Amino acid sequence: MLTELLNKVYELGTPLLFGAITTVTLTLSSLVLAIILGLVLALIRLLNIKVVNALISTFVEIFRNTPVLAQLFILYFGLPYMGIKISPFLAATIGLSLNGGALLSEVFRAGLSAIHFGQRESALSVGMTPWMSLRYIILPQTWRITLPPIGNYAIALLKDTAVVSAIAAPEIMFYARNLVTRTFDTTFIYILAALLYFCLSFPLARIVDRFERNQKVWQ
Amino acid sequence: MIESIKGFLLVYPENWHDWGPQIYAAMWVTIKLTICSFTLATVMGLLIAVGKMSPIKIVRGFCIGYIEVARGIPTLAILFLLYFGLVPLGIVLDAFVASYIGLGLTAAGYMAEIFRAGIGAIHKGQREAAYAVGMTPYKSFRYIIFPQAIRIIIPPLLNMLIILLKDTSICSLISTDELMLRAKDLAMMSFRPMHLFLLVGVIYFFLAWPLSILTRRVEKKLQKSQRNALA
Repeated sequence: MLTELLNKVYELGTPLLFGAITTVTLTLSSLVLAIILGLVLALIRLLNIKVVNALISTFVEIFRNTPVLAQLFILYFGLPYMGIKISPFLAATIGLSLNGGALLSEVFRAGLSAIHFGQRESALSVGMTPWMSLRYIILPQTWRITLPPIGNYAIALLKDTAVVSAIAAPEIMFYARNLVTRTFDTTFIYILAALLYFCLSFPLARIVDRFERNQKVWQ
Repeated sequence: MIESIKGFLLVYPENWHDWGPQIYAAMWVTIKLTICSFTLATVMGLLIAVGKMSPIKIVRGFCIGYIEVARGIPTLAILFLLYFGLVPLGIVLDAFVASYIGLGLTAAGYMAEIFRAGIGAIHKGQREAAYAVGMTPYKSFRYIIFPQAIRIIIPPLLNMLIILLKDTSICSLISTDELMLRAKDLAMMSFRPMHLFLLVGVIYFFLAWPLSILTRRVEKKLQKSQRNALA
């Protein structure tokens, strides 16, 4: 009975683990790109150029108020229509990082605005260049404030990658669906897939908890 | 350039008699699904939040476990489990029912945390003061704690509504006949994916955007009233 079960887990779990590799790669690459995009957008907003700010906030509003799935479909099915063909994985990475960039730019904006402007003034008055004050004074403090929401975003992102199976990127849910059509063992496979996601997100959630607790201590 | 944009846009009036009614009907399914799952999530979330504060250990453990699991598993995995995974056990759910239960149950995990944070933010002196003037626990919750907590809770609650609205699109993958699925079907039939996905993108946007604006406005108003209370 037990060996049977273990054999089954091994047999069905191995392909799912392959999917998990894609899930993790996709999450990490989209996370890094989203952080960079979000930070750059938030910093550009600080320059206070009216037209640019309006453009950025339009971008943010559009991406925050439409489903990820619609964004992915437009990228994956819509772009070939204009003569651009991209792989599912690339479409997923681009879609998720644009979406995440829009979200995180708001997080960074809140983080940057939480830093008292006296910090920047005193940095400049001790002879730092604007870049140095940003790099050594402002950003390290912003980073500390934004770490918990970024962590929460990472968990949301990990779960959002499941949606990507809809455009046939080979991650956990995609393999699970393929396995189902082969073995018809629906209940078992989907429970296994759900467990696998939980195993990936649970440690992440604990890390975020720790960030949040640390932040309370600082405050 | 302008010619090609014009050509692109002209496709809409040409096909409107075919697309219009279908998209319109699907939009109502999306709205219905959002409201149903939001209601379920609110009720479940409140129950779990209360359960998490319960003095009975097993109840508390169950609620903590529920929150962790609901927040740790993608909605899509839960939807697949409900819709396809229960069939071998003899439970066949309608796609719409599976969708709103799945969305509601996952959102309940987040809702519980929202309620708990809101109630936890009220200083315990408030409850003590209510008891001191002779209120029962129920009365102190109803007249003292709850009215204060609801102000903290409303903005994230509205946020959750927006998230649910967007997440209903995932239900297209278990063949719930809402906006996304309708768009996909029409796109396949007409070979115009860009037109249809853009169209539903715009519809989702105009459903969610007013809610976003409302959320921000409420947030600002509540912040102001809090500041006045302190002054």
